[in-house]
Amino acid sequence: MYVEFLGVPRQRAGVAEMVVEARTLGQLLVTLSHQLPALSEVIVGDRLQPSFTANLNGDEFISDPGTPLRADDCVLILSADAGG
Amino acid sequence: MSHGYHGCYLRIDVTTGFATRVPLADATLRQFLGGSGLGVRLLLDEGAVDVDPLAPEAPLVFAFSPLVGSPLTTSAKFAVVSKSPLTDRINDSLASSGFAVAGKRCGCDALMIVGRAAELSVLIVEQDGNEEEARVRLVPAAAYRGATCQETESGLRAELGPQYRVASIGPAGEQLVRYATISHDGRHAGRGGSGAVLGSKNIKAIAVRGSRRVEWARPQELTALSRDLSKRSFGPATAKYRELGTATNLLTFNRFNALPTRNFQSGTFEEAVNLSPEQLTATRSKTRESCVTCTIGCEHIYSVSPAKAGLHGGVRLQADKADGVRVEYESLFALGSLCGIGDPDVVLRASRRCDELGLDTISAGGTIAFAMECVDRGWLDEPWLRFGSGDALLRAIELIGARKGVGRVLAEGSRRAAAAIGHDSISIAPQVKGLEIPGYEPRALQTMALGFAVGPRGADHNRSGAYEVDFSDKVDRRNITLDAVQHAIETEDKAALMDSLIVCKFLRGVFEDFYGEAAVMLRAVTGWDATADELRETARRIVAAKRRFNLLAGWTPAEDTLPERFLNTPLPDDPAASLSRNRLNELVAEYHRQRGA
Repeated sequence: MYVEFLGVPRQRAGVAEMVVEARTLGQLLVTLSHQLPALSEVIVGDRLQPSFTANLNGDEFISDPGTPLRADDCVLILSADAGG
Repeated sequence: MSHGYHGCYLRIDVTTGFATRVPLADATLRQFLGGSGLGVRLLLDEGAVDVDPLAPEAPLVFAFSPLVGSPLTTSAKFAVVSKSPLTDRINDSLASSGFAVAGKRCGCDALMIVGRAAELSVLIVEQDGNEEEARVRLVPAAAYRGATCQETESGLRAELGPQYRVASIGPAGEQLVRYATISHDGRHAGRGGSGAVLGSKNIKAIAVRGSRRVEWARPQELTALSRDLSKRSFGPATAKYRELGTATNLLTFNRFNALPTRNFQSGTFEEAVNLSPEQLTATRSKTRESCVTCTIGCEHIYSVSPAKAGLHGGVRLQADKADGVRVEYESLFALGSLCGIGDPDVVLRASRRCDELGLDTISAGGTIAFAMECVDRGWLDEPWLRFGSGDALLRAIELIGARKGVGRVLAEGSRRAAAAIGHDSISIAPQVKGLEIPGYEPRALQTMALGFAVGPRGADHNRSGAYEVDFSDKVDRRNITLDAVQHAIETEDKAALMDSLIVCKFLRGVFEDFYGEAAVMLRAVTGWDATADELRETARRIVAAKRRFNLLAGWTPAEDTLPERFLNTPLPDDPAASLSRNRLNELVAEYHRQRGA
């Protein structure tokens, strides 16, 4: 599946997007933390640190590590909030 | 008298130049704290609801807070509270830095200004040594007529001395532009036109200097709390502000069809990447600054390519200065995507010019974008004023600041401009209660839409942080249910307390239990046995006081809505983002039911 980074996660990851294989959100996050150690402040175990959030295909926001993912999904990793 | 307070405010009549020290009861301070809460209470006590906000008798309050002067990070803030000349409803706008600390050291918890000086003047409030009361004097400000906010502040500090802190208006405030700001140290009490209120009093600037400190109830505990909060403020919850600033989520909003574009005709902007902080950081030099006492440092200041002096869209502009431009998300959206402009140099230049003139960038951009769409529709005969034209944007800003040409009507804000333009243009005027909508597309972020509709000062992202809810798994942001109402109320209450304590909202992610931690801070400062539950009640009381002000000023339930555009047209680039009038009415009714109205 595609993973798209936005905001601070993109700054940390150093890339805007990448392709990762995972069956659940938790697996995805663990894989990302191994492949991109710079995300250590963003990912804690199989969850996102509370200041960050994940979104599935631009639709629903997801947080449960057990959330199933499909190969054609796009998961967005972004800062949880930012105002002006 | 409680620790953390002086127990009085200074009521200054600039018609006579006479000041009165008015005691504040401990009970009042405990019920309304400071900042926005105290300011609203003082306005209600003064009977400000019925007056024309630009009349001499209209009061303008600068309210400090119990935490001001403490070592707690981000606490150097003040609220400017008045009836808004833009909305004719309550207005509280906040700004930061040394003015708050110096103002409180004048020996008062608030300054209330009434009257009208005989000539354009600078109001000076100063206190020395053990003097019980501050001294007040007015000095002529003819030399500063037409000066920018920055020129006024630096000129007065050079003249009076660096120990003075200055809040000033720019040319827009002198011209009574209804969304003129009050500026201090490059920051602005921006929304709702407090600069026009000060301008209507013939006051160009207020300079404060004092030495009177308050006592803290538990100084050692306060020091420990401050150290802990500062340490936590360096963590991941504030990384976005440090690294990319408030514009962090510009590309995120664009990705979610939530970046208002061309007067809310779209939620995506094809040139968004040009305006993103990632791109700005990669392509130009940048520095970062902080307010006094702040450990976050959210201000990102970018260099701008210099433009030569000359005619731009028919208006003669000065050459660009070499200094950088402080950039916020709201300015990038309002002067960029909302006006269809993707040239970052133009947007940075426009933002800087608004800062110089003392114009709220959100209302300026919103009103100009509205006018651009009116031109597109053939409702306004100003053919030069087109989406995407940088020259048009810069020219419109100049005309607004000077109240010349079409600037005369645009200086009134989009609601009054729509009344002048006609053609049902009110349906596309991007405002609620007269206040232009900030950079969050309501159809794509519907909890925020509710927050906009019910906001006492109009469409506002600082008094309702409901976009946080939309960016979570608590709601379906494009199809919210009545369950969202409680979340919207919670963010409104939390903002009311933060604006009254005062601490910066950029700390909100740092607190695991905000009300509990706020009670601990307040106990250390004041000695009160404050609890989290008490502060929840205080937050509700402050919101209720704002609503009471509006009710007395003529508010009707019909005001709690959104412009017709958002209620009869799905978002073109995301048809799933649709909000019907019936749905919004249900949400607003549930909001009032839960508020007990």
